[in-house]
Amino acid sequence: MAKVVVLGAGISGHTASALLKKKLGKKHEVVVITPNSYYHWIPSNIWIGVGRMTIDQVRFRLDKRYSKVGIIYKQAKAISFHPEGDTDTEKGFVTIEYTGQDKVGEVEKVDYDFLINATGPALKFAATEGLGPENNTVSVCTYDHAAHAWKKLQESIAKMEKGEKQKFLIGVGHPGATCQGAAFEYILNVAYELKKRKLSHLAEIKWITNEFEIGDFGMGGAYIKRGGYITSTKTFAESFLKQRDITWLKRAGVKKVEPGKVHYELLDGTTGEETFDFAMLIPAFSGPGFTAFDKKGEDITAKVFAPNGFMKVDADYTKKPFEQWSAADWPLTYQNPDYANIFAAGIAFAPPHSISKPMTSPNGTAIFPAPPRTGMPSGVTGKVVAENIIDWIKTGEPKMKHKASMAKMGAACIISAGYGMLNGAAASMTVSPIVQDWDKYPEYGRDLSNTIGEAGLAGHWLKWFMHYMFLHKAKGYPFWWLIPE
Amino acid sequence: MEKEIKRTIAYSEESYPPMPTKATLFWRRCIIWQAWRWLVLNIKIMKIVVGGHS
Repeated sequence: MAKVVVLGAGISGHTASALLKKKLGKKHEVVVITPNSYYHWIPSNIWIGVGRMTIDQVRFRLDKRYSKVGIIYKQAKAISFHPEGDTDTEKGFVTIEYTGQDKVGEVEKVDYDFLINATGPALKFAATEGLGPENNTVSVCTYDHAAHAWKKLQESIAKMEKGEKQKFLIGVGHPGATCQGAAFEYILNVAYELKKRKLSHLAEIKWITNEFEIGDFGMGGAYIKRGGYITSTKTFAESFLKQRDITWLKRAGVKKVEPGKVHYELLDGTTGEETFDFAMLIPAFSGPGFTAFDKKGEDITAKVFAPNGFMKVDADYTKKPFEQWSAADWPLTYQNPDYANIFAAGIAFAPPHSISKPMTSPNGTAIFPAPPRTGMPSGVTGKVVAENIIDWIKTGEPKMKHKASMAKMGAACIISAGYGMLNGAAASMTVSPIVQDWDKYPEYGRDLSNTIGEAGLAGHWLKWFMHYMFLHKAKGYPFWWLIPE
Repeated sequence: MEKEIKRTIAYSEESYPPMPTKATLFWRRCIIWQAWRWLVLNIKIMKIVVGGHS
């Protein structure tokens, strides 16, 4: 009997564990370790943040789902990795600390034959002084944060209904933050909700971003066919903002947040301040801060994890300039190079470098987006890792025939621009591949026939449909396995 | 109340991006056209996702 341990029950980890149990059956053990008691469909947080959905519409309890299919569920956070075992055991194990199940604080060793690290990121609000829901800004990164954002937004709306002007500053809150797409969705939804309430004339809405150009979204932007031209997503995204009277500040790294004021540095080295009445700023992400030890108890954290805390996989981590980056740098199987039975999927793996070009100010501040790895690629990498482990268990050999490079796979990104089945809107984008391959596509970096962007009501229906479809899949309802990642 | 026409600040960043015309806005909300686009986008996304990994 093989034992597969999955750390994390987000899009990637949950996809992996569900597939593992379906294909391995009762003969083998699947263990999920997560500090959360709920599965959470993160893409719909935006709609919680503008009061269009409730917390319970984006989540469901994990214990019932897992007990129904025989997955062992431990509500705990991982603390340390011991891939070589220790003096007592040859088997690799992780140490965990319970966060629920009436065992809060208890520490346990969980051994494994295969380990999937799918923990997602840590939200590093502390990397920017004054940032975050505990301080001066709101966030939409978790459903609790998004509910808090809606509460704060309602306060601003109430002031506007009394005739008071309000300034909304939305974007990213760290020079190296990612998830510009989520923040972009939120600013468009806020503008939509204010317009619906006929309060736009009292609102000043500003987008603040570390992108070199609007529409970069952490993937270096893209080229799409629009209106008889092949144009950049810079034009596409700027049009969305302009249509809604949203101004913007680009190439900005937020350094500090005070009540009602953001301090930033621009890529040209100058500094400035923006005031706000309401600010939603996405923080920097990092790995969760795990440690790793060898058999003797020596610290091997730097061997297993990159400096940003994400786990090393089969990527090319050689430091090289932007001009030498290649599609081949990106991992295929997400397998740790030193410990073959350990994999990292979703956001947990360390990318070889960013997708957008690194940019540094004359003061030495790196101001550019980290690579986005949410949603679709998270689900796909979770699936591919699970499939490879399943093959290994069934055949006894690490064939690793399932591959999913971000420089080969495409992704869809639906950026909501307002919730409404008749009056809503979204920007529907597909990029293929996610990471540009300038060798294969020298003119535009991607396959133009599969890289598209269009605005309209259909996009809202798509996002709404995906919300229910992916929750159906995650809950294991009938024919869930037919729904692709 | 007459809708206030906002004056464009020439040479500002915001003066350059395209604005959708009335016809474009119509097609973005036309139920029949958007239903067709929903179908096309669904198929395209499905092909991209399924074809993107082995």
